[in-house]
Amino acid sequence: MGREIKSEPALLQEVRKYGQFDVGGCYNCGSCTISCPLSGNLTTFPRRVMRYVLFGLKDLLNSSLEPWMCYYCGDCSTACPQQAEPGEAMMTLRRYLTAQYDWTGLASRLYSSAAWRIGANFFTGLFVFLIVFFYHLYDVKLSGSDFFPRSMPLEHMFPTMIYFTLAVFVIPIALLLTNAARMHSFIIGRENIKVPLSLYLKQLGTFVVHAFTQKRFRECKDKGRWIKHMIMVSGFIVPSLLVLFFLRWFQTDNIYPVYNPQRWLGYLATIALLYGSIETVIGRIRKKGQMHRFSSPDDWVLPAFLFLTAVSGITIHICRYAGLAMVAHYAYFAHIIIVVPMLVIEIPFGKLSHIFYRPLAIYLHSVKQRAAIEQNNLTEAKVA
Amino acid sequence: MVRLTVNEQKVSVEKGANLLGAIEKLGIKIPTLCYHKALTPYGACRLCVVEVHVPGREPALQASCSYPALDGITVFTDTERVKRARKIVAELLLARCPEAEAIKLIASSLGVTEPRIRKKNDDCVYCGLCVRMCEERMGKAAIGFTGRGPKKKLEPPFGKHNPVCWTCGACNFICPVGKKITVLTTQKPFIPIPNSYNMGLDKRSAAYILYPQAVPNKAVIDKNYCLHLNYNVCGICKEVCEARAIDYEQKDNKIEIDAGAVILSPGYEVFDPGLKPELGYGKYQNVVTSLEFERILSASGPYSGEALRPSDKKHLKRIAFLQCVGSRDHERDYCSSVCCMYATKEAIIAKEHAGEDLKCDIFYMDMRAFSKGFEQYYESAKKQGIHYIRFRVPVIRELPETQDLVLEYLNEEEKKVCSEYDLVVLSVGMVPPKHIKEFAEKTGIQLNEFNFCRTSVFDPTGTGREGVYAAGPFTEPKDIPETVIQASSAASRVISLLHDVKGTLIKPREYPPETDVGGQEPRIGVFVCHCGTNIAGFVNVPEVVEYAKTLSNVVYVENNLYTCSNDTQDRMKQKIKEHDLNRVVVASCTPRTHEPLFRNTIREAGLNSYLFEMANIRDQCSWVHMHEREAATRKSEDLVRMAVAKARLLEPLQKPLININKSALVIGGGLAGMTSSLELAGQGFEVYLLEREKELGGNLRRIHYVLNGEDPQNELKSIIEKVKTDKRIHLFVSAKILSIEGSIGNFKTRIISDREETEFEHGVIIVATGAREYRPKEYLYGEDERIITQSELEEMIASDAGFAKNGSKPNTMVMIQCVGSRDNERPYCSRICCSTAVKNALKIKEVSPDTNVYVLYRDIRTYGFREQYYTKARQKGIVFMRYDADNKPVVAKNGKSLSVKVFEQTLKLPVEIPADMVVLSAGIIPDQDNKAVAQLIKVPLTQEGFFLEAHMKLRPVDFATDGVFVCGLAHFSKSIEESIIQAQAASARANTILSKDNLELEATTSFIIDENCDGCAYCIEPCPYNAISLIEYMWQGAVKKIAEVNESMCKGCGCCMATCPKRGAMVRGFTMDQIESQIDAALQAV
Repeated sequence: MGREIKSEPALLQEVRKYGQFDVGGCYNCGSCTISCPLSGNLTTFPRRVMRYVLFGLKDLLNSSLEPWMCYYCGDCSTACPQQAEPGEAMMTLRRYLTAQYDWTGLASRLYSSAAWRIGANFFTGLFVFLIVFFYHLYDVKLSGSDFFPRSMPLEHMFPTMIYFTLAVFVIPIALLLTNAARMHSFIIGRENIKVPLSLYLKQLGTFVVHAFTQKRFRECKDKGRWIKHMIMVSGFIVPSLLVLFFLRWFQTDNIYPVYNPQRWLGYLATIALLYGSIETVIGRIRKKGQMHRFSSPDDWVLPAFLFLTAVSGITIHICRYAGLAMVAHYAYFAHIIIVVPMLVIEIPFGKLSHIFYRPLAIYLHSVKQRAAIEQNNLTEAKVA
Repeated sequence: MVRLTVNEQKVSVEKGANLLGAIEKLGIKIPTLCYHKALTPYGACRLCVVEVHVPGREPALQASCSYPALDGITVFTDTERVKRARKIVAELLLARCPEAEAIKLIASSLGVTEPRIRKKNDDCVYCGLCVRMCEERMGKAAIGFTGRGPKKKLEPPFGKHNPVCWTCGACNFICPVGKKITVLTTQKPFIPIPNSYNMGLDKRSAAYILYPQAVPNKAVIDKNYCLHLNYNVCGICKEVCEARAIDYEQKDNKIEIDAGAVILSPGYEVFDPGLKPELGYGKYQNVVTSLEFERILSASGPYSGEALRPSDKKHLKRIAFLQCVGSRDHERDYCSSVCCMYATKEAIIAKEHAGEDLKCDIFYMDMRAFSKGFEQYYESAKKQGIHYIRFRVPVIRELPETQDLVLEYLNEEEKKVCSEYDLVVLSVGMVPPKHIKEFAEKTGIQLNEFNFCRTSVFDPTGTGREGVYAAGPFTEPKDIPETVIQASSAASRVISLLHDVKGTLIKPREYPPETDVGGQEPRIGVFVCHCGTNIAGFVNVPEVVEYAKTLSNVVYVENNLYTCSNDTQDRMKQKIKEHDLNRVVVASCTPRTHEPLFRNTIREAGLNSYLFEMANIRDQCSWVHMHEREAATRKSEDLVRMAVAKARLLEPLQKPLININKSALVIGGGLAGMTSSLELAGQGFEVYLLEREKELGGNLRRIHYVLNGEDPQNELKSIIEKVKTDKRIHLFVSAKILSIEGSIGNFKTRIISDREETEFEHGVIIVATGAREYRPKEYLYGEDERIITQSELEEMIASDAGFAKNGSKPNTMVMIQCVGSRDNERPYCSRICCSTAVKNALKIKEVSPDTNVYVLYRDIRTYGFREQYYTKARQKGIVFMRYDADNKPVVAKNGKSLSVKVFEQTLKLPVEIPADMVVLSAGIIPDQDNKAVAQLIKVPLTQEGFFLEAHMKLRPVDFATDGVFVCGLAHFSKSIEESIIQAQAASARANTILSKDNLELEATTSFIIDENCDGCAYCIEPCPYNAISLIEYMWQGAVKKIAEVNESMCKGCGCCMATCPKRGAMVRGFTMDQIESQIDAALQAV
């Protein structure tokens, strides 16, 4: 019979901590898997991973990439004759896997408890608040009573702000990279495949392409979702890049003419963020799409953060142009308190991690596949 | 009346009739085209020309349809001149419409195959039938002829669509060349009436016979479509019906019936696949339901049984069946129980019709071949090349160019496959009939969550309302045998309820005393049936009548339009008396349907009913020789001669009567046996109930709970109590049968019970010997106390100690299905183990929610409403893993720990499950005593050792031996409710015998001619009914052996007569002399 894989019956209970997972309805008919335009000959899902969970095959589940191949159009759930919601099960598995990759264990806590999620974001926000507060108190040397009436130009915060921003971006990236190493060990480390380093480098393009285009998303039946998602992503990526690399130019008291990229890039990103977040929230409230029928806390948190980011950004902008320097200052304060938890908590431990894991999974998958093909060729050559 | 001569035969017709009528009255056929009995003669085609001699005039050619029948004229229908004229007409018609089948047929019958004139390839022959039909019969005149001579044209007024046209389609119907005339008159499409019998795959008319085998086989008028009933036009059917049977005045009647009990059997409907638009039913022509496909394959179906597809009538090369359409989904969480097998059956038949090359793919989830013989059928289907693919296909696509259908699925290796098919058959499930809620309200019964009738395990035929019972798929989707059984069960319930008044409304029929015909010279009357065109259309009946008159001993012959009609019966009785007939021959159809009627008629005329013989000149002659009128007539004469020859030798026969002992022997005191006993006792009969063990209850004693929550042990207690207190039930425990003698009505049985011998007599036997759980030899059973069977598990859970007797509840439990079932040794499915496993697994989850339960299965066969518990089990987190018969799980013991290794089939991965307990779903095997019991009562067993009923589908509780019935697990593995139903059914079947004082046996049985029999015993072995035995007696001081026939067991098949070398065995009514005389008569003509 070969090497048996041990069944761990507790797996289902564990997965269910991360959201809905109705295997009860599933009688293994395969309708979901054939309905999925992304499920191909190399990776078949959702049925296979659902079976992993049910049968308690934890190692196989942890090394599976299928959840990341799914963009949740919901066609599988529509096709399911038992209404077992395989699409939502894939969503749950993405949360589960995010927690598995995370070595700190925080992701698992955030997903299984709304209190932890709110608390983590709240305390990060509070921490930022205190940093900013004490920065003004000790670095800028304001007295407590000066906080309200005084307004001042932005210049005072450079270059401190640049280091702060760098830190805010580096922390999650560092966490994600360490998690990526764990993910790699799950996926490739446990298999009997030797992967040459050159292959990793050769395939690196896959990661970049998928990270920036999400082109597999376009293979879903509803092409509109890819565009909407793309808009939201650019609304997130563009300001991130501006803030990370051009902070001084982007966040300034200078008033540029409208045709200057500083202005229109900002406007476009804001519109994109507002559109994306509002659209998502409305969809979730109305539950019209199959993918919006079930919402867990992190499904609400992310659009809320994006929306608040955009709104606080607009407020800063309007106030600054209207000459309300002091209000602008406080709005900026609020903006930072909103953005930092989103980046530090939601990127490595929350839903936003998918911007990294999804292309990484596709990348690792293609590496693994190539390696397997090459290994096969080698053995065949040997046999020959 | 006018009198005229046609071909030198005299004929008289009513004044005003046309010449054609007079000619046809003589049975002379002449070709016609533009003539229709219900329309004004038109004389357009001139095919019906005849030569008319009017005294004092030159002989002239006249169209017989429009020429009046005149007094004194002489007519010739087939002179050379007439033939030449018709030939020219045929040539002209053929030149106009060379492609029309009807014209080709007429032309070829007149010897014309190719016209000498240039072909016009017209689509109209200008017969004017449509014009007259529309104007005279429909009162519309939507179409007419314009122009004259070569410019003549069929068109609506002004050549435009005519608002007068109401698209009735009568013009299209009557057009002999198949022109679609409605296209000219209207833009509305003409929609023919769909033929509901063929599921709308073809069309029918408003006056129709539902289907060839309909009972009663009578034409009806569809009042929704009939133009006469709705608009007072048409009325053609009344005119053309020769039997004058059309009555437009019939109205719906409200009938009130005083009934003591009601049986509800409203049946089911098939699921409407239009509700699943993704399957394309209704949109794609080549997606059909299984019932439609059944009609396609049927010889009486729309394509005469050819395997064609609807869209283009292309021969089928690749077909797919999709299972569970409308079953096993979230709205209908039940299994329709029959679809797996009917799909298999249809696939096999399709292969028979379309040839071995037909590719048949059946897409299924679990193959539910759970009934007697079904698993073997499924295996044989696989060997015949039917391909089973475990996948539920969600979407059907059509390729618009070819109308082929595309299915996408995952194969065994989980690869996506795209296959094209010519036809996709949707195996639609059973749903309750429409309007079932109103029906339930009117009848005051409860429906279950799926709108089927709500019943309970221990009252499976009751509806909850006293006196109202239900049977058939109305209580749960079920197959034919289960339906037949439940129908009998409902009947039994009614008999029990009403046995005090049973028979009080029956009036015995009184017959006049029988005339003694002994010693009389045979005086035979022959009645030849015309049967409309059925016989007379292909046989010259008047000639047969004339011929019959020439046969010796025949004193009276007559020709009846319909010999079976009521007035003919009266006439027959009158003629028997008038002509002092003592034998009667009817030359008509088959004795299978009509012999009882005629026998009754002559009995009413005072003749013994066996003084009757039939000549089947319809099924055996007119129907099979449709194109050979002359030869068919001769053959009919032969058949009549043979019948008359036998009739001469017919002797009066009496049906022997035997007294019925009004008590029953029930073998087996399990649930089935006790239920049967209680039913029969409740119906007023004495019952001898035998139980091998000390206690009653059988297998039910080991069943502690059932899926729907009823308490079986409580029920068992009350059943045993009832059995023990019923005065009519004589209970024998620890009993053993020593001998059973006799036959139906009079058995004598000797038993030993508690070391005491008893003998009693009884009229019937019910076999309820049960079956038992297989004791596994596999999976380390018996080597470790943690490896047990399902029933052991059930006892463990139910026992006071509970299954946590070692102090801790098992952490993981693995159940293995199909232990001792579906293997080489026992190839059948034990039917109940899947439901039992689901039941026990759910119970475990109830008493110990933390226990992990794995069920390793091959197909989950939770048929009917059991499916919802399978769903529930999955929802409770019970894990179902599939293994394959070729790669069975392995139970391993490593030191103290147990583990089960299984190669999971969906993932194709080996999985190891650490187990604290392994539960084997052991199959049901027949009782070891079955062989002995079968020998005692001389009934057969199946290969597996279950009792073999008379007919798997239609007589599921009877044996071929009369007076013996089977029920419960002795028949086959089944659930509690199924056992109860069959036990009640056996009682109802037994009641058909016990309720009579005496039994009339068939008169045509075998008898031994003592002086010819030398006791060689050759006849004993061939008798299929064990009716012959050899007896010895002393005669003139020597032992003489002779065969003896038990009349109550003999069916008169004649095997003994054919075997006996000494003419010692004969069958009454078919004696050697009688048959020889028939053969002689048959050969006489040669």
